[in-house]
Amino acid sequence: MSAASAAFDYAQFVLVPQAFNGLVIGVAVILMALGLTIIFGLLDVFNMAHGEFYALGAYLGVTLAARGVSFWLLLGLVPLLLLPAGFVVDRALIQRVFHQKERHMLTMLLTFGLSIVMEDVFKWIYGANTMKPETPLAGGTEILGNFFPTYRLFLLAIGSATIAAVWLVVNRTLFGAMVRAAAFDRHMAASLGVPVRKVYSATFAFGVALAGLSGVLLAPIYTVFPTMGKDFILMAFTAVILGGLGSIRGVVIGGLLLTQIQALSSLYVSPVWGDPLVFGIMVLVLFVRPQGMFAGKLRHV
Amino acid sequence: MRPWRRATLVATFVGAASASALAAEPIKIGVVTPLTGTYAPIGQQVRWGIELATKEINAAGGVLGRPVELLFEDEEANPAVATQKAEKLFQVSKVDFLTGTVNSGSTLAVGQLAERNNRLASTTVSFSDAITGDKCSPNVFRVNARAGQQSAALAEWLAKEKANAPVYFLGPDYEMGRNTVAAFKAASEARGMKTVGEVFAPLGNKDYSPFFGQIRAARPSVLYTSVAGNDTARLFTQLDEYGLRKNLLIVGASGTVTSQNMGALGKVAEGYVTGVGYSPEIDTAENRKFLAAFRAAYSADPDLYGADSYGLVYFYKAAVEKAKSTDTDKVRAAMRGLKWMTPQGEKEMRAGDHQAVQDMYAVKVEGGKFRIVSKVPGNVAIGPDTCTRF
Repeated sequence: MSAASAAFDYAQFVLVPQAFNGLVIGVAVILMALGLTIIFGLLDVFNMAHGEFYALGAYLGVTLAARGVSFWLLLGLVPLLLLPAGFVVDRALIQRVFHQKERHMLTMLLTFGLSIVMEDVFKWIYGANTMKPETPLAGGTEILGNFFPTYRLFLLAIGSATIAAVWLVVNRTLFGAMVRAAAFDRHMAASLGVPVRKVYSATFAFGVALAGLSGVLLAPIYTVFPTMGKDFILMAFTAVILGGLGSIRGVVIGGLLLTQIQALSSLYVSPVWGDPLVFGIMVLVLFVRPQGMFAGKLRHV
Repeated sequence: MRPWRRATLVATFVGAASASALAAEPIKIGVVTPLTGTYAPIGQQVRWGIELATKEINAAGGVLGRPVELLFEDEEANPAVATQKAEKLFQVSKVDFLTGTVNSGSTLAVGQLAERNNRLASTTVSFSDAITGDKCSPNVFRVNARAGQQSAALAEWLAKEKANAPVYFLGPDYEMGRNTVAAFKAASEARGMKTVGEVFAPLGNKDYSPFFGQIRAARPSVLYTSVAGNDTARLFTQLDEYGLRKNLLIVGASGTVTSQNMGALGKVAEGYVTGVGYSPEIDTAENRKFLAAFRAAYSADPDLYGADSYGLVYFYKAAVEKAKSTDTDKVRAAMRGLKWMTPQGEKEMRAGDHQAVQDMYAVKVEGGKFRIVSKVPGNVAIGPDTCTRF
């Protein structure tokens, strides 16, 4: 076999599927990280419980599916259910410490505590055993000699659509404009009639609803268990930091870059090095360019 | 105080004192087992097995006329905590015998403690070969089957079912994962099967699809895996997603498919085969009696942890009765070579390494339950004695 055709085979049968897998995981990570970056971008709050809202979405999805709700309905229903949950968490917990001087530290500790409580509540209500909803789209297609499961293609499609929708909402709607205005200058926005506190709570709710949506989407392939909130949180945080806190464009590019690096590196380096590599990148970015690739668009530094 | 009141008081004290002097001093067995945390379900079975056996033994007169008293401590599946609790049981509660550890690390740590305190300890769950292999201890005994026996049982069945099959290995990248893969690789290659590849994924890996390309390229007809818990649920689900379960027989370690993930696995667990030392289907009179008693007491089926823990108390009883004492050295000598009856039939405690020799079974998931598909006699499944310390 000639070197050229061997190289082509390698590209087709090894690199392409690996890159595709990285892409699917990337879309999942971006969905989670989007909420995180929006919440940080506007509220200046590092939501350490973000992973637990991802888990909450997955658990709600499993519970409702067990009662016969169809998967397609769940996709819309679960984020809707998470909106009031997020709203309440913001009003009841975050707003209480928001106006204090050590806001960053306090909200971090608060949301960290919340994440511990939520994890235990899941264990308490659902038990420690793993659960899994039925895969809504079974089977797959063979393209160019590689097998692509239908559900993953669907994930890619819906993930991309959601990311585009979020970008649209933030940049092209009135709500988005209010959010950006409140991030830019809270007091000015308030004096112009923007209901700033409501906008804060609504934004937090929106952010965690996105996390919940990715929970529902990923549950059929990654299963549901009480500590699942920890699964993607490292990647999500790193994508946010890499892309720049508050930047949507940044988190999308950062997320894609990181997941591709992880997917392709597992070919050449032992897979166990995946997480340390990602973490190392985060540390490097914080040293070299702490504002990330694109300094926050939602919020001025 | 009125004279008659004083008299009553004195009489009560004397009565109580003499009553306790008349009762035989209990034999204390310390049980350090995970009562909370991830392994709590295993600890629960251990507890049930031990309590059931103790209840039966005490009802029949105890051991050497003395009742058995159990002292439970929570090890939280953490070797450091297990060591602390074991220390407490040895030093403060002065237990005569210790058992219950689940985590192999805990068992080894507690074993060292047992040596320092000149007491004996046993595990009923830990299956790392090292415990009765290169890390054997003169004070540690194991009544349950170890990884090597489980692998041997599975390899025996596989060699008959799919002779000379190409096997691919996928394990979690830590000591237990690598050991179980190595053990099965040795057992399968010795029986004529070919290893066509192996890969180790990080513990807690989310997505196994990056490994599927190389698995597919190797064209195995058997996949051996030692992942556990959520990792199993994800691996099997994703194998199914990618259509890899067709024409692939999946076998693996005993801890890979358990009640913890069976619910999530559902139909993708069908056809999974592993090697174990116990099944509720075992058709002996002892097992039928044990099952009836266990179900009546706890409204649940015993698993291998419950059955082995039940068997342990009877093992200790037999040893103490043979030694006619609870003295450590005498009981140790009695335990070596001891044969005793368990729900799984007669087991023999091999003197050379303190490992129980027992019949093993290959079991397969059918209809969401494990069914026996073959039996391997004890002497075939037990590996060589590699303990050189005593």
